[in-house]
Amino acid sequence: MHIPDGVLPAGVCAAGYAVTVPITWYSIRRINKQGDPRENIPKASLLTAAFFVVSWIHIPVPPASVHLVLNGLLGAVLGYYAFPAILIGLFFQAVMFQHGGLTTLGVNAIIMGVPALLSYYIFRLRNFRREGGRIKTGIFGFLAGFVAIAVSVSIFVPVLIFFIPSGFDVAAERAAVLTLAVAHVPLMFIEGAFTTVVAVFLHRVRPKLLVAA
Amino acid sequence: MGNKWKSIIWPVLVVIVALLLPTTVYAHGAHIEYTASTTIEIVATYDTGESMSGAQVVVYAPDDPATPWLTGTCDEEGRFTFSPDTSKPGAWAVQVRLAGHGDIVHIPVGQDAVASGGTGGYTILQIVLMSVCVIWGLAGTALYILRRRA
Repeated sequence: MHIPDGVLPAGVCAAGYAVTVPITWYSIRRINKQGDPRENIPKASLLTAAFFVVSWIHIPVPPASVHLVLNGLLGAVLGYYAFPAILIGLFFQAVMFQHGGLTTLGVNAIIMGVPALLSYYIFRLRNFRREGGRIKTGIFGFLAGFVAIAVSVSIFVPVLIFFIPSGFDVAAERAAVLTLAVAHVPLMFIEGAFTTVVAVFLHRVRPKLLVAA
Repeated sequence: MGNKWKSIIWPVLVVIVALLLPTTVYAHGAHIEYTASTTIEIVATYDTGESMSGAQVVVYAPDDPATPWLTGTCDEEGRFTFSPDTSKPGAWAVQVRLAGHGDIVHIPVGQDAVASGGTGGYTILQIVLMSVCVIWGLAGTALYILRRRA
């Protein structure tokens, strides 16, 4: 789901940065309003490391292969820290492995970061009206992981199919993008299940860690 | 007299035909025609090592990097072969794309031509080392702040 350099026109890359900057600013502002930011930085650092590494875990879904993203988990556990954490993780992935790209960093941050924030809002619903128990934590954890991938794919697909440069066979590229999108359906369930397991585990052993910023 | 001429003409005709025969035989010889050209083969793979079979390829000549010079598709093994116009020396750009994934490589043609090259391609050891450095940086940040709080 990482868009590399040279695939999108310059205008789209610039628009990606133009949207990413205010979202990062808003996230940092919300973090600052919630007391000592250092409180959650260790958690954010470790989950950034997990996000950075996990893109190497490929799951074969014929005819394509997909990799774990964990943006739903980051959103559920980190709250507003998730967006800057994903931005930093994407930066290192692009610089170290050319996984993604520097020109497309803004677009990739939107594709993976915005759904993370959405997952945070979804996961917060477990405490709606009264504090959620283990079952509610599990259900909303699943939804957070599932929805994050679904929304990421929903942003990824139109960005790619509406900006195919001249010279490429548009119909063939659209078909390939849609095939890749369908290959992400199993990943939605996998990430949903993974987020559920982590959320329920944290709820049992260290519930304070789930109180996202 | 007539008989005398006949006796001369026939042997002469036989000799002429005999002289022409080898020419006909020579016409069965082999011919080799050649055109001087450089063929470039690219192999496109994902960073997992999997072939980008069916990926679209667009080639741009150095004199017009905005207009595709050639388009095509990689085979099952991610291979694509083309012969650049050697009258256009410089960096030929070859872009490969499949479902939003891909890369672009600049291949020098002419005086600066090189036998082989590519993009990216870290070894497993390099990847592991880089990953460990980044993870240690992030984990170290976490430990540093936890220690200060303690």
